[in-house]
Amino acid sequence: MARLKKKYTEGASRTYTTRNRALKKLQLTLADFRRLCILKGIYPVEPHSRKRANRGSTRLTTFYYTKDIQLLVSEPLIAKFRQHKIFLRKLQHALGKRDYTRAQTLDENRPEYTLNHLVIERYPAFADALRDLDDALCMVFLFATMPTVSRVTKEKVDECKRLSTEFMHYVIHTHALRKVFLSIKGIYYQAEIQGQSITWIVPYQFSQQVPTDVDFRVMATFLQFYQTLLGFVNYRLFTAVNLTYPPRLDQALEDNAAGLGSLRIESRRVEDMLEAARSGDDDGSNGASDDEAGNAPSHDAKAVKARMGSLEAKMQAIVAADSAAPAYEAVGGDASGGDEDALQAADLLFDKQVVYLSREVPRYSLEFAIRALGGRVGWDRSSGGGSPYTENDQAITVQIADRPVQGHQFLSRTYVQPQWVYDSINARRLLDTTDYLVGQQLPPHLSPFVEYAEGDYVPEEASRIAAAAAGFEGEVTNLKPEDRDQHNSEDEAVADDVDGESADEDEAPEEDEEAAAGVEKQYQKQLLAERAGVTFSEYQQKQDDKPAAAISKTRGGMPKRTKAQLEEEDRERIAISMLSKKKRKVVNRARADTYKRSKDLNTMKTRKAEATKAAASAAKPGARK
Amino acid sequence: MPAKRKVSAPKRSAERCDAPADAADEFPKSRGIDVPSDPEESDLEDEDAVDSDFDAALREMAADQGFDSDDSETFAAEIDADADEGEGPEDADDDENEEGSDIHSSDIDGASSDDSLDGEADSEEADSDGDEGEESPLVRTASRSTDGQQTAVGDDGGDDKLGSELLDGEGMERLTIEDFGRDITAWKEYRKTLPQIDPGYASDSSTEEPANTIGNVPIEWYADYPHIGYDIDGKRIMRPATSDELDKFLANMDDPDVFRTARDETNQQDIKLSEEEIDIIRRIQGGLVPDAEFNQYEDTVEWFTSQTMKTSLSGAQPHKRGFVPSKWEHKRMMKIVRAIRQGRITRSAPKDTAPKYYDLWADSDRSAEAGGATTGGRRQRLAAPKQALPSHEESYHPPAEYLPTEEEKRKWLAADPDYRQRNFLPQDFGSLRTVPGYDRFVQERFQRCLDLYLAPRMRKKTTQLDAEELMPKLPDPRDLRPFPSTESLVYEGHTGRVRSISVDPTGLWLLSGSDDGTVRLWELVTGRCAQVWNLKETVYRVAWCPNAEVCVFAAAAGSRVVLVIPPELCDDQKRLVSEELVRAGFGRTGGGDDDGDDDSLPVSWDMPTSAEQAAGVQVSISMHRTAKSVAWHRRGDYMATLTSEEGGSAVLIHQVSKHKSQRPFRRLKGAVQHVKFHPTRPWLLVTTQRYVRIYNLMQQALVKTLQPGVKWISSVDVHPQGDNVILGSYDKKLSWFDLDLSVKPYRSIRYHTQAIRQVQFSSRFPLFATASDDGTIQVYHGMVYEDLNQNPLIVPLKILRGHEIRNSLGVLDCLFHPIQPWLLSSGADGTIRLWT
Repeated sequence: MARLKKKYTEGASRTYTTRNRALKKLQLTLADFRRLCILKGIYPVEPHSRKRANRGSTRLTTFYYTKDIQLLVSEPLIAKFRQHKIFLRKLQHALGKRDYTRAQTLDENRPEYTLNHLVIERYPAFADALRDLDDALCMVFLFATMPTVSRVTKEKVDECKRLSTEFMHYVIHTHALRKVFLSIKGIYYQAEIQGQSITWIVPYQFSQQVPTDVDFRVMATFLQFYQTLLGFVNYRLFTAVNLTYPPRLDQALEDNAAGLGSLRIESRRVEDMLEAARSGDDDGSNGASDDEAGNAPSHDAKAVKARMGSLEAKMQAIVAADSAAPAYEAVGGDASGGDEDALQAADLLFDKQVVYLSREVPRYSLEFAIRALGGRVGWDRSSGGGSPYTENDQAITVQIADRPVQGHQFLSRTYVQPQWVYDSINARRLLDTTDYLVGQQLPPHLSPFVEYAEGDYVPEEASRIAAAAAGFEGEVTNLKPEDRDQHNSEDEAVADDVDGESADEDEAPEEDEEAAAGVEKQYQKQLLAERAGVTFSEYQQKQDDKPAAAISKTRGGMPKRTKAQLEEEDRERIAISMLSKKKRKVVNRARADTYKRSKDLNTMKTRKAEATKAAASAAKPGARK
Repeated sequence: MPAKRKVSAPKRSAERCDAPADAADEFPKSRGIDVPSDPEESDLEDEDAVDSDFDAALREMAADQGFDSDDSETFAAEIDADADEGEGPEDADDDENEEGSDIHSSDIDGASSDDSLDGEADSEEADSDGDEGEESPLVRTASRSTDGQQTAVGDDGGDDKLGSELLDGEGMERLTIEDFGRDITAWKEYRKTLPQIDPGYASDSSTEEPANTIGNVPIEWYADYPHIGYDIDGKRIMRPATSDELDKFLANMDDPDVFRTARDETNQQDIKLSEEEIDIIRRIQGGLVPDAEFNQYEDTVEWFTSQTMKTSLSGAQPHKRGFVPSKWEHKRMMKIVRAIRQGRITRSAPKDTAPKYYDLWADSDRSAEAGGATTGGRRQRLAAPKQALPSHEESYHPPAEYLPTEEEKRKWLAADPDYRQRNFLPQDFGSLRTVPGYDRFVQERFQRCLDLYLAPRMRKKTTQLDAEELMPKLPDPRDLRPFPSTESLVYEGHTGRVRSISVDPTGLWLLSGSDDGTVRLWELVTGRCAQVWNLKETVYRVAWCPNAEVCVFAAAAGSRVVLVIPPELCDDQKRLVSEELVRAGFGRTGGGDDDGDDDSLPVSWDMPTSAEQAAGVQVSISMHRTAKSVAWHRRGDYMATLTSEEGGSAVLIHQVSKHKSQRPFRRLKGAVQHVKFHPTRPWLLVTTQRYVRIYNLMQQALVKTLQPGVKWISSVDVHPQGDNVILGSYDKKLSWFDLDLSVKPYRSIRYHTQAIRQVQFSSRFPLFATASDDGTIQVYHGMVYEDLNQNPLIVPLKILRGHEIRNSLGVLDCLFHPIQPWLLSSGADGTIRLWT
């Protein structure tokens, strides 16, 4: 007789392990385990059969892959956690004994760990890291605006500020910003970096309320990893475009709340290094050795200018000799991939603009957005130091203001509201400023992230922008609100009842079959009438006695169906009846979905109509006065 | 002498400490003051001290005077100083302090002796005024007396003064005991002439006026008695007589010292406070030190100073430990030294100066270039899904149609936060400057964090199937013509439900049987009712004989089945053939079965009544129970009937030409719904509620049992080619069986919304139809191919609507025309309809 096989020795019960079993195996506390899972990116999984995975028990538990847990066993971080635990115990002991010198020594030698190995482990390729950068950016940008409280130390906030500013500098430098959206939650940005779309949200710059129902330990653990990740990503991004990393921090400007300007972005291109080598030994040792220790001291605007003048001829020879090195044209003008052609006109939207920001507009966002699209920005002194332009500068072409009443207005520049900048970025062309002038009622701000599928509701503005982008200006095929208004006024006599009717329809949406039954009934009625000898015209008249019902049929979204359509519907239903149960479910769901979408579409259309009507009626009495 | 005392002060206190407490209390000063005296004198002193303290004091004084008459002032001061240190409440305090700590007591001693020095200096000036000026408050308190005795005290004071004046003023020298030599009596006499000396505190307190000693007894207890307390003899101490209130008042008005008078209830006396006492009270009230002379800020006397004295205060040698290095310190140091030697304590590692960030992916790039696998054979991770991107509604200034209505807002607010479709409420802020901070930003980030590490992940396969793709590829019905699609004729005349219809083999005539008890014959193409037979009972079934040679139909009405030859319908030739077929049986004697169990069969072949005969009814077959169904064999000679009888007798097979009936089944399981002959094979289909059993009549065996899996079968039909069976059920299902394939349905279709009443194949066209209680007839294309490998094609073609629903009954029967692609249907509304 064959040996009896033991239960639960293979299959799902081996593939998965419960959290408690994992804790036991790793000899960790739950808190440490969670921290480890966060840092290592290990997540619970849902087995196909919970019962089989949990050895026949159906209790609610969390499952992990056994192999993931196996991987954790050899994690050096666990040893670090234990060291830290012992360190804490020693420190407590020393403090309890009032042995402060010992406590101080302990504290000086406190065990530290880095997460560098985890970054490379979780993201073996740089593209993987970029793909997963969204959450990291959101978190770092959030903590950069956090107030320092007990759980959020100043060092953390400063580090986040620095990392986020570096990343923004990269986006500015490579003109990678694609979309911006002003939401009620914050400002969404989308940048395209090395072919990946990276989206992040930045809260409006108010002091963040530190909520009590949030476990900051969890957030801090995530942040710890994200900071490491973003640091390495920044390094890679900066060096990829030949910038020194880390950029130098200008403390004076930083203290003056210069924001983006407080970091000195420096090039480390070939000619710079050659120049450094040429200029002398003192510089040469530095410049050749490493990037970040680098050529900082020799960087003055003056020196650069002088160098550019003198090196013009030399460069040609060098470039010719070193064919691998790409040619650059100007200091700051080098592109991400090195090819200038990749930069389209839309990426340098504000290239010729000098924008001045009034003090009431969010500088932190506008400066970034405008500079990322090639513009130059100046701002009021009250919103931070380091502005390259004053308000009186004649070079300024656009001033962004958000106050309805302005003091002195320069005739040489346009005064627009901030939304113009964002809408222009999303439309990828400079929009007409007439709609956005200061004091104007702004057009709606639409999300650039929405992609319209067949049968979706497209807001009027979106279709207008799309039409404008396609090349023809003016009339859009959509029904203009004026037309609709006229149409409404024409059948105003009957429209009074309409609202009630449509509301009824909304409350009791007709099921597909019920609708069919209704149509069938009507058809039967027609047949009966025909048999009774009623002529079609008479029958029609009788129907007209109930105009509201007829209008609701036509206006409620479901147009009156012809006989052919009815037959088609019949056939469809018959075909559905031929399907297997499984497929029928799918089809029915799809049909219900379609129905819901069409219903939503109708709701949006009616709302739009109502809104335009209300706006028109609001405008009329004003005109009379 | 003062210097001497000063030095002796600590010594004395040390003595005191050594002495028992009670002994020390007796007479501290006699030992305290180091008075040089003869041994003789001290003997005397000892002797007298036993007798009387007062005498001792007196003698002492006398001795002092005798030895040092020049130092009389000093002596007085000394007495004062003694009084300072002497008995009394303060002294007790001092003692306690002294016992507490040596240093302290010596300090106090020092201070008090200083006082005495000051007092000395003062007394030199104030001698002429008497000793009042020098009196310390304590002395004054002791000398204070009651009102009554004031005069006496004053006298004493006067005497004192007088004495001192006498002494000083007259310059008369006071004699001492020495002057008298051995003449003690003379001395005694002389002593009597000497003025009385105020003992002050130098004497025992017992010399004071005896106070009332009632102890701690509250004075109110004596309120009702004429006395207060008792004297030493146990006699009552009577209250002094009190004046009445008016007298008191007058006395108070007269007395200028009334404000400084206090009443001592215990002794029933008025006490007049002195200026000093009032001053003390004032000072206490003001929170100052009671003693006006007390200097709080005296210069510090450095008893123990950093300046080394020539001679130390104590002769003790400094301890050795002041010179020897600490053993314990040494131990601790050695511990550290050992730890350093063993390498347990190391110098803190130099701070890492390596750059924090570097090119982390340099190696992976190289391996990627080399074509190495990046995952390292690990399980492919499920990347967390990205967060959904915001739509227009999240905009700070969305289009108006995206804003919620008031009701939606209310609903959103009322809903549980976990069940809201959106986690925010769309809002329109007209301009960017009015947009506030979003208060749930941190929470939403936190929620995302939780999702990332707590939410189980699972790869879910979603089929992005287009509904259109799933729809069966059915041929267009228009290509499958002809099939009945429109109503072209309605046969009206029946007053009850038309339960059954039948078309004659030529396709010209239509029969219908109804609940109103009639059978009607219709001309099919015109709708003319040719003949009516009133059979008086519900007609369940009418069926033409399929033999085209004859013109006979059977009708099941009530408990009998009649065979009718419609007289107008057929020519003579046909009539003769038909009559021969139907009536030939009457010639046979017995008319029953050959088997001999004729009696047990519930059947009798009867001649109808003459009236019926005139109408064409030729034979009447009577049964015991209601005949439900009649089915002809394709040859037209045999006929199967079904009655509501239980058991095997429910199904009977009749041979018309011989008027012979037989019972094929002895027993039948289940309630039989239907019987039907197979169109090509010698099979009989018996339909029970759940199954269809197919019997081979030749072999008398069960061929197969069809299991449609429905609850209640209503009708069955067999395809003209004989390999396929359709089956309708009251639970709305139509099942198609391929007999070659399986006993389970090849295809089940559920389209009708109510029970299916009848299913029918067309004998000529690849069509079949189902009639249902929902008032519709569904026409299908049902193609059966010659190729056995090809499955039958079933295509729904058309829904025919027209019949009205009465009492939730719709279409009861349907039938295809034998020649044309027409459909006939009868319904509960009493009509028959032709669909072409």
